[in-house]
Amino acid sequence: MKRSRLFQITVLLLVVVAAVQDGYWLFDQHLRGAEKTVSLMRLYDQQSAAAEAMLAAGVPAARIQALFPDLSVSVDHVALAPEHLAGLIDEQRRRLTQYLWEGGFFLFALFACIGVIFAALRVETRVLNEQEQFLALVSHQFKTPLASLQLSLETMSLRQLPAERSRALIDRMLLDLTRMETMVGQILDSSRLSHGRMELKSEAVLLDAAVTRVVSQYLERAQTDHISIESQIPEQLQVLSDPIAVDAVVRNILENALAAVAPVGGGKVTLTARSLGTEIELAVRDSGIGFRASDQSQLFRKFSRLNAGAGSSYYGTGLGLFIVQRLMQLTGGRVSASSEGLGRGAEFLLHFPAVHA
Amino acid sequence: MSEPLYRVMVVEDDPHLAAGVVENLRAEGYEADSVGDGRKAVEWFESHSCDLIILDVMLPGMDGFAVCSTLRERGTTTPVLFLTARGDAVDRIRGLEAGGDDYLAKPFHLQEFLLRVRAILRRWDWYRESARTQGSDVLRFAGNEVDFRAFRGRSWNGEAQELTEKEAMILKVLAEKPGEIVSREDLLEKVWGYDVFPSTRTVDNFILRLRKRFERDPATPVHFLTVWGVGYRFMSGEES
Repeated sequence: MKRSRLFQITVLLLVVVAAVQDGYWLFDQHLRGAEKTVSLMRLYDQQSAAAEAMLAAGVPAARIQALFPDLSVSVDHVALAPEHLAGLIDEQRRRLTQYLWEGGFFLFALFACIGVIFAALRVETRVLNEQEQFLALVSHQFKTPLASLQLSLETMSLRQLPAERSRALIDRMLLDLTRMETMVGQILDSSRLSHGRMELKSEAVLLDAAVTRVVSQYLERAQTDHISIESQIPEQLQVLSDPIAVDAVVRNILENALAAVAPVGGGKVTLTARSLGTEIELAVRDSGIGFRASDQSQLFRKFSRLNAGAGSSYYGTGLGLFIVQRLMQLTGGRVSASSEGLGRGAEFLLHFPAVHA
Repeated sequence: MSEPLYRVMVVEDDPHLAAGVVENLRAEGYEADSVGDGRKAVEWFESHSCDLIILDVMLPGMDGFAVCSTLRERGTTTPVLFLTARGDAVDRIRGLEAGGDDYLAKPFHLQEFLLRVRAILRRWDWYRESARTQGSDVLRFAGNEVDFRAFRGRSWNGEAQELTEKEAMILKVLAEKPGEIVSREDLLEKVWGYDVFPSTRTVDNFILRLRKRFERDPATPVHFLTVWGVGYRFMSGEES
C-alpha cells in the first residue's frame, strides 16, 4: 500500500513539474519570438541606414536594391519592403498563436491530470483513514467483552467457587458471547450497508407478524431486565419493504430500546403502528434513559454510543441505529427520534412506504 | 487476608467487567465498589475517598484521563490504575501524564491485575509509612522544605511548591539514603514498580523537575547529583 502511495505521489509530482515546465516554455517562447522580431527589425534598420548612406554616396539604386533584397530602394528613399514587414508581423503572430494553443492545451491536460490524481489521492486517504478508524473501533468494541470473558474464565480457574457463583459466571460468559455474536452480525451488516452491497427486495411485508416474531426473541431478556414489551400493531398493515430489512430494523430498534430501559432498573417498551396514507408509521417508545436534544444528531452515526455507560454497553456496538437508518433509507423509508431529555424515555418513529391497495 | 482493609473504587462502564473486577477484589479481601460514569466518579470523590482507583479510559460523561486530571487538580493523590482497551504507547503515556500510576490493557490476566493492585498499594504503604515513621514527614535541606504528606514544599527562595506524587516519592526514595547512589532502576521499581515507562529516561525528567524546584542553579546542581551511567545521589548539603 505504501509503495503504491509513493508511486502516486511521484506521478503527481512529475505532472506538476511538467506543468511548470510547460508554463515556463510558453513564457520563454513568447519572449524569444518577440526578441527575434526585435533583432530582425534592428537588422533592417541597419540595412536601411547603410542603403541610405550608399544612396547619398551616389551608388546607383539598382545596385543597392540587389545588395539588400528585403529593402525597397528608390532614387531618393529607402524603406523596408511592406510585404516583408507584414510577413514579419504575421510570422510573429502565427508563432505566438501556435505556442498559445499547443502550450495551453498541454497545460490544460496537465492541470486536469493533477486534479484527477489529487482527487484520487484524497479519496484514497479518506477511505484508508475510515478503514483504520473502523478497525480501531471494532477492535476496541471487542476488547471489552473479551476482557469480561477472560476475567470470568480466569476467576473460575483461580478460585473455588460455589455452584451458584459458577452458574452466574457461566451466564455472564454466555451473555458476553451473545454480545460478541451480535457485534459480528452488526459489523457485517453495517459494512455491507456502507458499501451498498446489500440487495434489497421490495415486497409486501405484514408488519404485525414481523414485529411479533422479533419481540418473541427478546421476551426472555426483557423479563430478566424487568422490562415489559407491548405491541399493538393492526393485523392488516402491510409495508412495502424487504422482509429481512424489516426484521433487522425492528430487531435493532428493539435492542436499542431494551438497552435504554435496562439501566433504569426496568420499565416499558411499546410498539404501535398506524397508516398515514402513503406511509405506515411504527412508533417505538421506551421509558429508558432518553437523550439530550443536542445529542440527537449523533444518534444514527456509526459507533456513537451516547449512553454506553448506563448499561447499554451490554450489547451496544454503536452500530444498531446506523443500520436502522441505512436500511430505512435503502428501502424508501425514514426514521426519526425524539426524547424529552435524559431520564425521560425516547420515541423512535419508523416510516415505511405503504402497500398500495 | 492479613493485609489491612483497602478500599478500591472501580470506574468502569461495562457492567460485566466492573462486576468481575469488583468480585475478584472482594475475594482478595479488598473493599470494592464500582461506578460506571466519569462524572459520577468525580462527584463520588468529592465526599468519599479510597486507597486505589481502577479507571477505565473510554467512559461516558467524562473520559478516564479527564477524571484523573480533575482528581489530581483537586488534590486527590489516590493512586490510579488505568484499565482500558486502548493499550498503545501514546495512550499509556497520556494516562501517566494525567497522573496515573499504572496502566493495564484489556483483555488482561486476572493474576497480573491483582499483582499490580497489590504492588501499587504496597508502594503507597511504603511511602505513607516512611513519611509517618521516620522521625519527620518534613524534609529540610539548604533552605528548602518538603512536606511529604501534603505534597507541598517551599524552595530556598521562599516560593511555594506543589509536588506531584511521583516527584514526592522520588524525593523520598533519594532522601532516605542521603549521600548514597540510588540507581534509576531502583527508583523505577520503588516509585512505579513496573515497566510502565518505555525507558529510565523518565526518571531523568523527574529529577530535572526536582532540580528546577529546589536547586539554586539547576544547571549546576548540588543536591540532585547525576552519577553517570548509574543513577542519582541526593546531597542535603549537611553531609560534611
